[in-house]
Amino acid sequence: MALSASVVAGLQHLLGPAGVVLTREGRLTYESDMLTLYKGMPDAVVLPTSTEEVQAVVRICREARVPVVPRGSGTGLIGGATAPQGGVMVSMTRMTRILELDLANRCATVQPGLINLWLTNAVRDRGWFFAPDPSSQMVSSIGGNVATNAGGPHCLKYGITTNHVLGLEMVIGTGEVVSVGGKAADRPGYDLTGTMVGNEGTFGLVTAITVRLLHLPEAVKTALASFASLVEASEAVSAIIAAGIIPAALEMLDDAMIGAVNAAVGKVYPDGAGAVLLIELDGPRAEVEAQAERVAAICRERQALMVTVARDETERALLWKGRKEAAGAVGRITAAYLLQDAVVPRSKLPQIMREMVAISKRHRLLFANVFHAGDGNLHPLICYDDRKPGELERAQQANEELLHACIALGGSVSGEHGIGMDKAKNLPLQYAEADLNFMFRLRRVFDPDGLMNPAKLLPSHPACGEGFRPARPTLPAGTWV
Amino acid sequence: MATGTDRLAAPATLDDIRSCVHCGICLPACPTYRALGEEMDSPRGRIYLMRAVAEGRLDVTETYTHHLDLCLGCRACETACPAGVPFGSLLETARAEIERGGRRPLRRRLLEAFIFGVFPHPRRLAIVLGLLRRYRRWGLQALVRRSGLLRRIPPLAAMDALLHDIPRTDGAPPEFLAARGRALGRVALLTGCVQRHLFADVNHDTMRLLALAGWDVVAPREQGCCGALELHGGRLDAFRARARALAATLPSDVDWIVTNAAGCGSALRDYGHWVDEDATRRVAARSRDVTELLVEADLPLGSLPLTVTYHDPCHLAHGQRVRTAPRALLGRIPDLAVVPLADSDLCCGSAGVYNVLEPEMADRLLALKIARIVETGARTVVTGNPGCLMQIARGARARGLDLELVHPVTLLARAMRWEDR
Amino acid sequence: MVVVTTPALGGALRAIVGAEHLHEGGAPVDGAAPRWTAAPATIEQAAALVALAHDERLAVVPRGSGAALELGHPPTRVDLVLDTRRLDAVLEYNPDDLTVSVQAGCTAGALAARLAGRRQILPLDPPGWAARSLGGIAATQASGPLRQRYGTMRDLLLGVRFAQADGVLTWGGAKVVKSVSGYDVPKLMVGALGTLGVLLELTLRLHPAPDHEATWLASFRTPAHAQDCVAALLDSTVQTNRLEVLDGRVLAACSLPVSAAALAISIATVEPAVRAQEGLVKAIVQRAPGAVQTMGASFWKTYDRALAGFDGVTLRIGTVPARLVETLGAVQAVLPGAAVAGAAGLGALRALVTHADVSVLLPPLERLRATVGEVGGGVTVERAPRALRERLDPWGPVPAAALAVMRAIKTEFDPRGVLNPGRFVGRL
Repeated sequence: MALSASVVAGLQHLLGPAGVVLTREGRLTYESDMLTLYKGMPDAVVLPTSTEEVQAVVRICREARVPVVPRGSGTGLIGGATAPQGGVMVSMTRMTRILELDLANRCATVQPGLINLWLTNAVRDRGWFFAPDPSSQMVSSIGGNVATNAGGPHCLKYGITTNHVLGLEMVIGTGEVVSVGGKAADRPGYDLTGTMVGNEGTFGLVTAITVRLLHLPEAVKTALASFASLVEASEAVSAIIAAGIIPAALEMLDDAMIGAVNAAVGKVYPDGAGAVLLIELDGPRAEVEAQAERVAAICRERQALMVTVARDETERALLWKGRKEAAGAVGRITAAYLLQDAVVPRSKLPQIMREMVAISKRHRLLFANVFHAGDGNLHPLICYDDRKPGELERAQQANEELLHACIALGGSVSGEHGIGMDKAKNLPLQYAEADLNFMFRLRRVFDPDGLMNPAKLLPSHPACGEGFRPARPTLPAGTWV
Repeated sequence: MATGTDRLAAPATLDDIRSCVHCGICLPACPTYRALGEEMDSPRGRIYLMRAVAEGRLDVTETYTHHLDLCLGCRACETACPAGVPFGSLLETARAEIERGGRRPLRRRLLEAFIFGVFPHPRRLAIVLGLLRRYRRWGLQALVRRSGLLRRIPPLAAMDALLHDIPRTDGAPPEFLAARGRALGRVALLTGCVQRHLFADVNHDTMRLLALAGWDVVAPREQGCCGALELHGGRLDAFRARARALAATLPSDVDWIVTNAAGCGSALRDYGHWVDEDATRRVAARSRDVTELLVEADLPLGSLPLTVTYHDPCHLAHGQRVRTAPRALLGRIPDLAVVPLADSDLCCGSAGVYNVLEPEMADRLLALKIARIVETGARTVVTGNPGCLMQIARGARARGLDLELVHPVTLLARAMRWEDR
Repeated sequence: MVVVTTPALGGALRAIVGAEHLHEGGAPVDGAAPRWTAAPATIEQAAALVALAHDERLAVVPRGSGAALELGHPPTRVDLVLDTRRLDAVLEYNPDDLTVSVQAGCTAGALAARLAGRRQILPLDPPGWAARSLGGIAATQASGPLRQRYGTMRDLLLGVRFAQADGVLTWGGAKVVKSVSGYDVPKLMVGALGTLGVLLELTLRLHPAPDHEATWLASFRTPAHAQDCVAALLDSTVQTNRLEVLDGRVLAACSLPVSAAALAISIATVEPAVRAQEGLVKAIVQRAPGAVQTMGASFWKTYDRALAGFDGVTLRIGTVPARLVETLGAVQAVLPGAAVAGAAGLGALRALVTHADVSVLLPPLERLRATVGEVGGGVTVERAPRALRERLDPWGPVPAAALAVMRAIKTEFDPRGVLNPGRFVGRL
């Protein structure tokens, strides 16, 4: 769809020509986020700098019935920041300020385009940090983290983004600016803050976020344990949790990923291991020391080939650098890949690992694994060569089979990436029609016109359409006279 | 790394382009993205456009060209990229394609003709600088500045602002300087073009320090330009000619080819990629920055009680991956306080002749850089590239700031206890 | 549709739950006598009850342990009390996954007993928690001292099954500790007082039981010293488990020596780490300046009993940690007889007011709300006699735009006003 001249004029008048991208070349670069499998070119891209401008954009679009797609740094993995139905893409990358820093009350208020790590960088010297640390944190925006309820390696202990969001300001689909939550405790009413986190831009556009800050722990200990296979590593994970230890992070990489990371970053992980476990403990020093000993003992009991502990911040940073750049490093071993983000109950990890080996053999594709083993969140990268005919289809088939297997074990379709375009069709695996319908109606409250990031999150499914009525309980005979 | 080709669609180049996994980690490292916040002025966006051109989805349009023109070629994205995408050489290939298309506006072509006609030719440059010296001394510069003419031609204004002090060259450095004591080996010094005319003392100090460090130094007078400007501007044929010429001029019996200008050193290290011949590959393999050699020596340094801050030239930090050596050297100077510079490796806007071709963006980045320098409280900025020295000095002058800009070699020479050896 | 006569309705209700589990009348809810009280045995029965209520336009009021019924606006109609106490099963306990699924009527105490065998806890301790149903704790977003470290039900509820206003059984969230599939429906349900759905099953996130907990009581001559101590603790690496402020009256209620203000500080981890942090805690307290004494393991039970056993008006005050002194002072100024205690590290306090009548309570409430409103906080009447709550707004002001959204949500999911109508914020 093309935008009408009056809409274009309205946007340009509002934001100035430097705030509106209309060239084909410019819009082309916005047609995907990190999942380039999904492309959708917007008809215009706007770059507002304030809540008022965002609201004005939404109002202009609403009046013209033009879809609105919010975008942060464009590092999402679910095709969320794409415009498959065209419309106006609203890039938050010029709203990057820290609006308020209130360390006495352990919180901060920021604009959505602020890069996640930059918030921690701003407060680290004074002993604080922002806990949600998705692997993309050096580039992903806090607004994007809120939209997808991002996780990261440290969410096992610290929780995910929603556990650190105290309040939001959002321009919802009706064009209203709604402020919910805030820094004070226990506000009455529905928890709209919690409901809005993870809405993937389908309720509206977040324009300010109040977040909780945590004090940096006294000590951090990062250890690497290598195992002969993923199965042994998974069993070690279960044993650690069963011992009552919740590490700050518990990451697992398999041999394919170890190879890619070593090639990209330098020899960080030992070659030849079937799997490595990156374990990070943080907290009071005495607690960390005691737990580290216990963890090392558990790993050895589970046949670890080797257990090493980082001796200083440089070594620790190197162990983590490999993990955080894994998704990018995989470019060295494959032309393309599909990234899965399903979750299984942690106790089912060994089972899903075996299943994965079978699927990978069946489809003759390489699976490279990096994931948050502590909470059962899988990130297999299903490698394929997009130039070879049929490989993408095989990869997609393998992807679906793996997802089904995860759900069958009582898991979830997505641990942290969200649904977007990529997993909308899979939601019916996890939810019944009544559940999907509930979500559809919730969305409609915020976005009655269906213009906010359409074609995302909810599948095109009868339960997510108008007029659908879930089946009600049957009442005993004779209820009516 | 694939051999440098002149077409984006060439298989080797296309492979490089496709190694980008679109992760976006390059975005915060990119100065133009930091300034504008737009995808098409980020490395990821530029690669996406190059890919579209290579795959036939996009023609080489004016807008496409504009976004590539705005790229500094600073290669900060290469440092950040986990997939190892060789952005620098992709940019150069893309620019070569644009060059060959020959559809640039007249003003641009005239400006480029001047730049490429003068800067890479040391003798012509000497003549032009001589004229400019008189232009300043005879009051013509003041006249022209008052007339407002410069404001209408931003590239001229940029050049005018940059050239503050044009010293009479106190002669070229000696062609040979023997090592003090027993020689570790033999090195050749690349004297550079702007360096040899505007910062001749840096070349002198470089040779003396290398000699003190135990190297025999040769500095052939006949050496021409390294070709960096032509390479970064996509004039690949001209660049290749210069590379071959320089490789032939530099002696082949040296252990290292030493550069003290980051832009030149970076170009030398790319020689093998673009010209797959023995001589050029040898130059590439033996190229070192002066700080990399000096850091291995045990230099007798005396007290220099100053507060300084170090700015990473892009073509040293990103182009050559040299960051620790200059800092280590500064750290050895007794009583020298080195305050870390935030965003030290974010381009100052010089980027070769970028500050003449894209003065507006260059100014924005310069403002960012000056702000960070001011935050350190240091009065001396140390950096190993003539372009950066001139650019930051210009920024300081324009704001009335009292900043001293020095090459690391100059500071080392100042602190050196020459009599101790 | 023909209007159904009451006997027929009673018959229909009996047909769902069985005659022994349907009573005409029943215990009043917040001073309102119900027409019927039904106690379903299964969630399907519960859903059928709600469906019937929907068809017959009855007002359904869910009820768990009944500990928090004097809450919100007094109900205008209570037709059917849905008693969840028979829905008390622990459905699925997965210690390795740190998750448990329970029915809403299961009490926190019963669950704790079940988890103790595997040394795990659900760290939720609002006053009187052991006897309270988990559904009730969720519906009222009740919290206690452990929120300092573990958050509240909001952070611990992973998945929820509920009956919508028309009786349709619906599931939201997931059964695993980490999931972002679709909207976070459990968040919508926490603290919603059952007005969007009757909570029937909860899947909860568990934590390992700490090896060892030590508690200290820090006494201060002025509230300002207590606040300084709180600030210093928060700005340190000490990992507090519980951090409660107690004023003189609460101290007395706990049979402890009275001081102007005191902090009850606990640390719970492996023994060596408890010892190591003890030194730091004591140093911080002494610097405030304050005096510190070690408490026995029974302190938290005593504290819980004191708060739960209180028989007057309870105000829930939401403010920020840096405003502790102001808030304590404001309460003292307007309600001189009140006792105050609460999570000092989070600004979540309770004021306990005895012998209050409206003329005494209304102006103080307004002034308190004005004071904490400066930082966006509020005062909720968590518990008060019906007569009192009829004459004031128990919830306090909610920003108009947010309230409009809440109203739209309620209208969408309960257009007939079946679920706990009239009691919630905005009389939704």
